[in-house]
Amino acid sequence: MIEVEALTKRYGAFTAVRNLSFSVRPGEVLGLVGPNGAGKTSTLRCLSGVIPASAGSIRIAGHDLAADPVAAKRALAFFPDEPRLFEYLTVRQHLAFVARIYGVARYEELARPLLEELELVEKADVLPGELSRGMKQKLVIACGLLHSPSVIFFDEPLTGLDPLGIRRMKDSIMRRARDGASIVLSSHLLHLLEEICTHVLILKKGDKVADGTIAEVAAQFSNGEAGVNLEEVFIRATGGSET
Amino acid sequence: MIGALLYLRLTSLRNLVVFRVGRLRQPKYLVGTAVAIAYFYFVLQQRLAMPGAPAAASAPAIADTRMIGMAFICVGLSALALIRVAFAWIAPAEKPALRFSEAEIAFLFPAPITRRALIHFRLLSAQFAILFTSVLMAFFFNRFGYAGGNRALQAVGWWVVLSTFDLHLNGTKLTLARLREKASGFLLWRAAAVAAIALYVLAVAWSAAAFASASPPGNLAGAREAERFIPGLLGSSPLHWLILPFRIAFGPYSAAGAREFGVAMIPALLLLALHYYWVSSTEASFEEGSIALAEKRTAAKAAAQRGDLPAAGSSRPKGRAGPFPLSPRGPPEIAFLWKNLLSMRSSLLNRRTALLFLWIILCVSLVLRPLLAEYARSNRAEAYGLLVVALCCIVAAYTLFVGPQIARQDLRNDLPNADILKTYPIEGWRLALGELLAPTAVLSLVLWFCILVSTFAVDPKGEAGWLTSGVRVTIVVCLGSAAPLLCFMQLIVPNAIMVLLPAWYQASRSRGAGIEMFGQRLIFTIAQFLLALLVALPAACAAALIFFSFQWVFGVGPAIALASAAVLTVLASEAAVGLWWLGWRFEKFDLSTESK
Repeated sequence: MIEVEALTKRYGAFTAVRNLSFSVRPGEVLGLVGPNGAGKTSTLRCLSGVIPASAGSIRIAGHDLAADPVAAKRALAFFPDEPRLFEYLTVRQHLAFVARIYGVARYEELARPLLEELELVEKADVLPGELSRGMKQKLVIACGLLHSPSVIFFDEPLTGLDPLGIRRMKDSIMRRARDGASIVLSSHLLHLLEEICTHVLILKKGDKVADGTIAEVAAQFSNGEAGVNLEEVFIRATGGSET
Repeated sequence: MIGALLYLRLTSLRNLVVFRVGRLRQPKYLVGTAVAIAYFYFVLQQRLAMPGAPAAASAPAIADTRMIGMAFICVGLSALALIRVAFAWIAPAEKPALRFSEAEIAFLFPAPITRRALIHFRLLSAQFAILFTSVLMAFFFNRFGYAGGNRALQAVGWWVVLSTFDLHLNGTKLTLARLREKASGFLLWRAAAVAAIALYVLAVAWSAAAFASASPPGNLAGAREAERFIPGLLGSSPLHWLILPFRIAFGPYSAAGAREFGVAMIPALLLLALHYYWVSSTEASFEEGSIALAEKRTAAKAAAQRGDLPAAGSSRPKGRAGPFPLSPRGPPEIAFLWKNLLSMRSSLLNRRTALLFLWIILCVSLVLRPLLAEYARSNRAEAYGLLVVALCCIVAAYTLFVGPQIARQDLRNDLPNADILKTYPIEGWRLALGELLAPTAVLSLVLWFCILVSTFAVDPKGEAGWLTSGVRVTIVVCLGSAAPLLCFMQLIVPNAIMVLLPAWYQASRSRGAGIEMFGQRLIFTIAQFLLALLVALPAACAAALIFFSFQWVFGVGPAIALASAAVLTVLASEAAVGLWWLGWRFEKFDLSTESK
């Protein structure tokens, strides 16, 4: 469960996210959309505890992120848009390291099917420098899912993946949601969001423009038209301009 | 076409200057520039205040000294150049390359430009760096008083030397590429070239030895003997003819006056022109190698910005077994120790580091040889002990002050992964502790080695009679206990600078040249030193107070132990506060905003 109340993030005089409130229940997938500079990444980074919020409260799996960050972080996984890996740790060593950090006992049993699912078994003993971008992305995912998080944040999860990888990633996200995870994902690929998200939140200049199920948001911007897709909704909601 | 390339170079240069001047609006660059200018002002003022070499006729003694100095510089640099050229023939790159940036490759290689024009562009690009280096060399070599005279003429002299060498190296690369393209006889050509270089070196050595045996040099440390011997040696036949190309190249630089310089310039420019003809007329494929080289340089630059040492040669890092089995249960700090030790093994224990150590050992041996000979003559066994202690002190000081800049497998190395680290369910101080453990362990090992060796190197006779076995053990235990804390504190300082001033830190790690970067690095070095003194001061005061108060009552050994306990308490308290602050600051900091 993710509960966000009046989240505000300021960088000096600039406000990136203003008074944002929403919640994501277990099993829900929230799509975070908005033009470039709308505050999506800042929101995700605040939610995952990477940067502190300037104001407001965030609860992850019932734990206040500001008051009890360790407990909150134990329940979450954050996947940044760019895979960040340790240069001198092999795929297997990455998993061993993460297992120790999260205290995942008998992680080998969990790691094996994960590596198989992500087709990393043959690359288990190579360094990140020898992996393609897609493979690196998969390794980041394996590391993030090792501790079975109940809250997952994805920032542009499909960047760098091949068509098969995209299909698998979509399936994986939906399966995690079915298993009860609360998921927030930020992406510019609106057709992807339409496919896998149960809810959508549109941001513009740090303000929430719309929030609800895809049907609710579509209804809000359809002006009575039928069959309005998310792309059309996005353009109408954001005024068709970047800022 | 050359006009367009010249435009690119000059416009880029102009924009670089405008950019650098423009960013002086940011305090980090302004302060860096101010410090660097102040440094250069004082250094250059000192240099300019030094008496240059007067006219040769009016001061023959100084002129002779200058001639000897010049001879050493020229011979030394010639030897280095020869080694570099020989190396190019012995171990040529698989794909010969000329140095282009990735952007230059992207724009120029597919452009309708001839290969020759690309070579000209490369030569032109190199000229900017050569001109700058020549001016610097003219100023800084002058400090030794060897060169003296007119700095402008010396700068031109340096330009001739560096340009000739650059052309020669490029000519060699292109010739090798050409020979490789022909495939047949490549190895034979290489073998012939290496044999020719070897024969040349042998001929030089033989002719020098022949002159030395005919005219024994005596004690070369004496100035008069050297003044007699060196000109005779360089002028002797056949050495005079063997080193003629080098004499021509160094002629303008070593010229004593304007007239001599003018005369020396004629053959030097002719030699330069010949090299230019060689390079510009050699048709060879260098594109593939240049692309690989540009990629390698970009990767090395990125690695340097991350704080990693560049990998040796072209070898890619390989996966290694962990330093110890990592159980999934237990304190998470150990996971960071494990990870950073792994990283340290890969980035520090490589061919480059081994070569660096060999080089240091060679230099130290050369310096120490006369000292050791002197001690051997004096036949004082204890002198060896003192020498060992002195060496250990030097190594320990370097470990404490320079070590943290080399062993940086801590928060600094993980800066690009800060976002990931911050999602880990660990308190900031524990994360910081884990990150600092590996470099602390390595630096502490070096210190322990120095403490052990130096403690037992001194012969406890005579004046050192108080150094009984008991006192020695006490010293080892006490200093050994304090060593990890000292290393830890020293490592907290650069990490604290990194999280406190990430923008400064990021800027100072980049390889980007510039006076402001130099100034920033200078500020960091001074800050590290001052902060180290600041944290050591309370501990030192407490130790001194306790030692002098209690040595009369309990004796030296117990007093040292008590003083050490005080030192440990103070240092541990400081380390705890530093660690807590570092963790707290790391939790709060956002690289994406603070590094702008």
